[in-house]
Amino acid sequence: MASSTGLRELQRDLENKANDLSKLQKDISKNHQIRKKYTIQLGENELVLKELDLLNEDANVYKLIGPVLVKQDMAEANANVKKRIEYISAELKRLDSTVQDLEDKQNSKKETIMKLQQKIQSLQAGKGKA
Amino acid sequence: MAESVKGTVTSLSSLFPVEEAQKAAKRVEEIISERQKQLDQLRDFADDNNTLIRLVQRLPDELHHDIMVPFGKAAFFPGRLIHTNEFLVLLGEGHYAERTAKQTVGILNRRGKALEVQVESVKALMQDLKAEASFFDATASEAAEGLVEIREDYVEETSPKEASMIGIVEPELPISSQAEDVSHVKDEEYDRIFSRLAELEKEEEEAEHANQEEIGSDDSDVSPGHVILEEEMKSLELEERGKSSRIQSTEKFPDHWHVEGSKATSKENCLPENLAYGKFNLTENAPMEPQAEEDVKAPVIAETKAEAHPSEPQFDSSKAFTGSIVEHNSDVNSKVQSVSRSSKPVSRFKMQRK
Repeated sequence: MASSTGLRELQRDLENKANDLSKLQKDISKNHQIRKKYTIQLGENELVLKELDLLNEDANVYKLIGPVLVKQDMAEANANVKKRIEYISAELKRLDSTVQDLEDKQNSKKETIMKLQQKIQSLQAGKGKA
Repeated sequence: MAESVKGTVTSLSSLFPVEEAQKAAKRVEEIISERQKQLDQLRDFADDNNTLIRLVQRLPDELHHDIMVPFGKAAFFPGRLIHTNEFLVLLGEGHYAERTAKQTVGILNRRGKALEVQVESVKALMQDLKAEASFFDATASEAAEGLVEIREDYVEETSPKEASMIGIVEPELPISSQAEDVSHVKDEEYDRIFSRLAELEKEEEEAEHANQEEIGSDDSDVSPGHVILEEEMKSLELEERGKSSRIQSTEKFPDHWHVEGSKATSKENCLPENLAYGKFNLTENAPMEPQAEEDVKAPVIAETKAEAHPSEPQFDSSKAFTGSIVEHNSDVNSKVQSVSRSSKPVSRFKMQRK
């Protein structure tokens, strides 16, 4: 009797853990998507920076803000793009660390789930024998 | 690993279940199709870019162009395109720059190059994925066919010897098989052959310099001995075919053999002990003709009869079964030094008496 209640508890535990794991996996995939987006933006910004470097100092540069084009200084635009790149790189780094963290968590969760499964199996086997 | 079993046999389907392999293949296929879409998109971009470049190059040819200006989604009205050499180029991230046609073409070209790089990288990726997919497919089909994986431990010390031995032994193997009675249980045969191989190897290692001459003489002796034996066989086979009983020959032969062996060793007792067998084998052919022709006739016939055919297959089998060579070798090698020399004649006796 005690073993069967223990088994039930273990199974509930396992279910919870499995839910946690799936949540973690969802987070990870979300993070990956965001990361992808940022990488693309980073590439685009680098392209912009390259083009801006190729422009003359007196070239007219505009920035699209909402529906209007706002005239910008070359220097200003350059600084803006650089800042943006910095921000994106920092963001990417942050995302990397969080993804790493999540993956660690995921692995530990997987291990605990494996252990739980083994426990349940051994319990069931014991019950089957008895 | 169990010691009795040298290799393991696992069916591929137990390692990679067919459905799993197929699932994996399917997943890879999906990824490939995704990448293919990406590649197509990139190619579209590149095409757009190229047409745009052509347009931009053409626009400043005229001072103005008469065009239909789109108005809303459905309507157009006639208009005129002026300032044909002024472009507002989107650099990305909402940044626009005013450029001339020429400068714009430069920007677009650079963009086209970036696209090409991306296309190449995606192509490389696709190739990798395709290789992966084909691997999975092959695995799936192999597993479905019931392919079996055989794994055998690589025995380090015996294998190189064996490799070198094959070369050395090739000329000698027929002799040894001629000297012995052949028609028998495979395992024992193998045992004998391989213990002999090991001994030959030992001889070489331990008495390379002392033995060199002997080996030379042995090599030269081998063929004449061989020939003479065959001639004897031919000539004597007829007269003695019926007469020479098997028992007679087997009784005589080992004795005669041992005598010769001891003679050989006494002659060349300067050599180390474990060379004795080699000597005795080496000399065994040469003295046979002058010394004991009469004696030998009977055994020779008896044996050659038994052997003329088996000697070849035996040789072949030792070649073909290199896998099993390893197995036996490991067994034999442990015995070689202590047991084989003493056990071998016994086994021959046994076999010959059968």
